[in-house]
Amino acid sequence: MSAEAVIVTRGLSKDFGAGRGLFGLDLEVRRGEVFGFLGPNGAGKSTTMRLLLDLIKPTSGSAQVLGLDVSGGSVEIRRRIGFLPGDWALYPKLTGRVVLDYLAELRGGVDQRVRDALVERFDAELDRPIRELSTGNRQKLGLVQAFMHEPELLILDEPIAGLDPLVQQSFHALLREVCALGRTVFLSSHTLSEVERVTDRLAILRQGRLVVVDSLENLRKVAVQRLEIEFAEPVDADEFRALPGVKEVNANGRTVTIGFEGSADPVVKAIAAFHVLAIQPREDDLEDIFLRYYRDAPA
Amino acid sequence: MSWATTRITLRLRRTGTLSAALGLIAVMAAVGALFPAVGHSIGKLNVPAGVANLLGGADYGTITGWFRSEIAEIYGPLVIAALAITGAAAATAGEEEGRILALVLAHPIRRSRLVAAKAAAVALIVCVVAFAVWIGLIVGVAAGGGGITVGHMTALAVQLGFFGLATGAVAFALGAGTGRRSLAAGGAAAVAILGWLVNSFAPLVGAIAWLKYLTLFYYYAGYDPLARGIGLPGLVVLGVFTIALTAAAMLAFERRDLRG
Repeated sequence: MSAEAVIVTRGLSKDFGAGRGLFGLDLEVRRGEVFGFLGPNGAGKSTTMRLLLDLIKPTSGSAQVLGLDVSGGSVEIRRRIGFLPGDWALYPKLTGRVVLDYLAELRGGVDQRVRDALVERFDAELDRPIRELSTGNRQKLGLVQAFMHEPELLILDEPIAGLDPLVQQSFHALLREVCALGRTVFLSSHTLSEVERVTDRLAILRQGRLVVVDSLENLRKVAVQRLEIEFAEPVDADEFRALPGVKEVNANGRTVTIGFEGSADPVVKAIAAFHVLAIQPREDDLEDIFLRYYRDAPA
Repeated sequence: MSWATTRITLRLRRTGTLSAALGLIAVMAAVGALFPAVGHSIGKLNVPAGVANLLGGADYGTITGWFRSEIAEIYGPLVIAALAITGAAAATAGEEEGRILALVLAHPIRRSRLVAAKAAAVALIVCVVAFAVWIGLIVGVAAGGGGITVGHMTALAVQLGFFGLATGAVAFALGAGTGRRSLAAGGAAAVAILGWLVNSFAPLVGAIAWLKYLTLFYYYAGYDPLARGIGLPGLVVLGVFTIALTAAAMLAFERRDLRG
């Protein structure tokens, strides 16, 4: 384990049977980075986080958080981290204020000014029973409790689920601030677009196995991008199939969608020969990144 | 132990507990007030021995028999067991199924300390209900014209409190061990109800009369606290049973995977 690593797993596994779980995860998250943990639903992201929190026990392998073994040092680990589970709830009859008071007392050492600043930042509703709050407003309370003790490490499972774009922006700004202070964020998502603006590095998990760990920049090089082009006249879509890097071409009347890897230059130059009415870029699809890695994996 | 956890668990059960306590007092006052008009005229019921046992002797001719049949055998244990079981099942398994516990356990608290804090909350709920039974007895017996000593009324409330603790401990152990609320509540309710039935019917058949010693109900009511006072051996058995099951709950909860 390097001196800068705050999370280290070695062969970490949790077998739920029937092929479900986490298998042989080797991962290292460095101090001060925002590390994205991506994968489709059921890939093993939440399982990994629950193993790191000692909420479930590994079938095999080991994990260390902040230099402590997750089984032996779990109380000390939990003292120093902030956690937001992916699928969680709070006491529905109680108000946000009562619940935050309880969690702050349970944790100890929470600076009321920090908590108040977070409440204000996220415009969190504290005086209504939690059962009356929307998903987004409940998520705000979850974020406040995760950040309010200024932890060294934040483990956040799907943190922006349900948040409106303004709050998402505020959350991303907060992530940048805490990382500038040398703290570490380990956050999961099932969509690339949710994390691409804030992560330094990311890991992709699929069916319980680690597919890749790399920087977003390197991953983008192998991602399939798509352009949806609306032509003035119908065109022969087959003309684009032979272009360098093109992986797929779909035509629908005067609209053609071209999926390609690497540089967009050959595609742009090819379509320039026609009368183009509109070009619409399509979001990189995380699934395509997975598929790319599977294709390239040695047999 | 975490007093913050004990306090919030109590807060969540506050309305139900206070309603039940006030309801108990009101019912017992009404039961007492009915005795002069109804109890004497009914007298001792001529019913099969099993039914008489279910009704605590079915002796309605005395105020002790009246309260034994109306409160000590059925209503009191029913209410205290219901509150203890629902409170215990909700405290761990309920929060686990409700996906609350994962967030709580992300805080620096040992699982065993969390269980101890919640067990303390359930114990306090049981004490409140037992105290309400004691108040209700004093009011009810006074309304019925008197005839039971305060010492014997206290004995019933204490025995009932220990019965509530033991029944709650069953739900607690099942909930902490499995994380399944329905199993915890259902299992503990089955133990309580079967215990009541076995304690009433087993003594009628010589060969299986010993089965009553396996029931919690026997250690609560077997000594007849309303007529004879505290049954210390029963209290010891119920107390040891409660401590053992709470310890088992702490151990089981410490070691297993959390579901919610």
